[in-house]
Amino acid sequence: MDCEDVRLHLHDDQRGHVGPELHRELRAHLERCPACAHEEAAEHVLTEVLERRLPQHPASLALKRRLLAEWPAAPVEARPWWRGWRGALVPALAAALVLALGPPLYRGLTPGARGDAAAMVAEAVNDHVRVLQRDRPLDVESGGIHEVKPWFAGRLDFAPVVSFEGDAEFPLQGGAVGYFVDRKAAVFVYKRRLHPVSLFVFRAEGLPWPARGLTQIGGAAAYTSVSRGFNVILWRAGDLGYALVSDVDALELGRLAAKLARG
Amino acid sequence: MRTRGAEDPGAVLGREALAYVDTLHNLARYLTGNETDAEDLVQETYARALKAADQFTPGTNLKAWLFRILRNGFLSSYRRQRASPLVGGLDTVDPAHQGVADDAWLRDDVELDRLRKLVAEEIEAALLTLTEEARTVILLDLEGLTETEVAHVLGCAVGTVKSRLARARSALRQRLKDYAR
Repeated sequence: MDCEDVRLHLHDDQRGHVGPELHRELRAHLERCPACAHEEAAEHVLTEVLERRLPQHPASLALKRRLLAEWPAAPVEARPWWRGWRGALVPALAAALVLALGPPLYRGLTPGARGDAAAMVAEAVNDHVRVLQRDRPLDVESGGIHEVKPWFAGRLDFAPVVSFEGDAEFPLQGGAVGYFVDRKAAVFVYKRRLHPVSLFVFRAEGLPWPARGLTQIGGAAAYTSVSRGFNVILWRAGDLGYALVSDVDALELGRLAAKLARG
Repeated sequence: MRTRGAEDPGAVLGREALAYVDTLHNLARYLTGNETDAEDLVQETYARALKAADQFTPGTNLKAWLFRILRNGFLSSYRRQRASPLVGGLDTVDPAHQGVADDAWLRDDVELDRLRKLVAEEIEAALLTLTEEARTVILLDLEGLTETEVAHVLGCAVGTVKSRLARARSALRQRLKDYAR
């Protein structure tokens, strides 16, 4: 294996994409070739610089709203599956659908009403979008969980139980008072890279919590779903309900949920 | 046979596709070089995806499929229309400078430290000087796409992805040299 071959595989090797035999060959070459060893160091730095500092350009909320309005958002009657996509191309119809969904969804979620997991998920997504659309999404900027939590005192009729104070992966941005269905909710906003993540904490009773399809996340039996491009995780702990919503990757959101729901 | 009220698989796929809007927009922004064109390109990508939904193979990588539609849309709509060096396409930068670069500047710790101190704007500016293909392959790699998926997006043989990526990263390092002084 010459230097050219080695350099071709350095990046793959750093990502763990080469087999053990090739990895050993590469390591052996790097130990005896200072030029390739420098090359490997430079590749490391380049990757680090790109991953940490290359600016990311997420889509604007306006674009997301436009796209959401053009895609199907409700169960449809049986028909060839691809026709559902074509139907969504009629923006007026889709926009009307979105507008029409709001009030019935709210009524279906009122305490005592017969609801389902999809309605809970849709409510969580709506609330998340509502928070993002506010002129000032945060009522209190984060100086740490011990500043955010006391801020809710007197603003809610319950004490939100959230012990995760944020970390380098999911820094806490702050909090706000919001609503989940018919009740006030404490909203904690975390961030993953440039993506906001909303955690809604609210009184759990009287809501149609999903009882099936639950998975264990942290110390909680959680319900995970995707709705309109947003990942949603719902769980209960004691008298409180939790809804975690974001457009970050489902695995990443699961990691945050595990930190929040650890027993 | 699906029953009334059952969720349309197309709708499910559609919502999954929307989960990638940020990452699609990011690539679009680096391809077009400006926000307005990036938004138009993303919107056009979703419209094309809707029309071509029956061509998507369930179980394959939806993100890679969308990236391919976006890039093809960029090439067909923008590359022919514009002479801007930012969107000029594959020959924007002299190929002689896109190959294996003289990386002597990185072969000591001082130069590596300079590279580490580059700020975000400098890295972005350097990336934007590369050809469309080089920018794309670097960004797709950062997104974690496999070589097979990158090949699908670029419409090239899987066997050439590794060398294309190596050349692109080498060219980027060469560009970054201008900022790391």
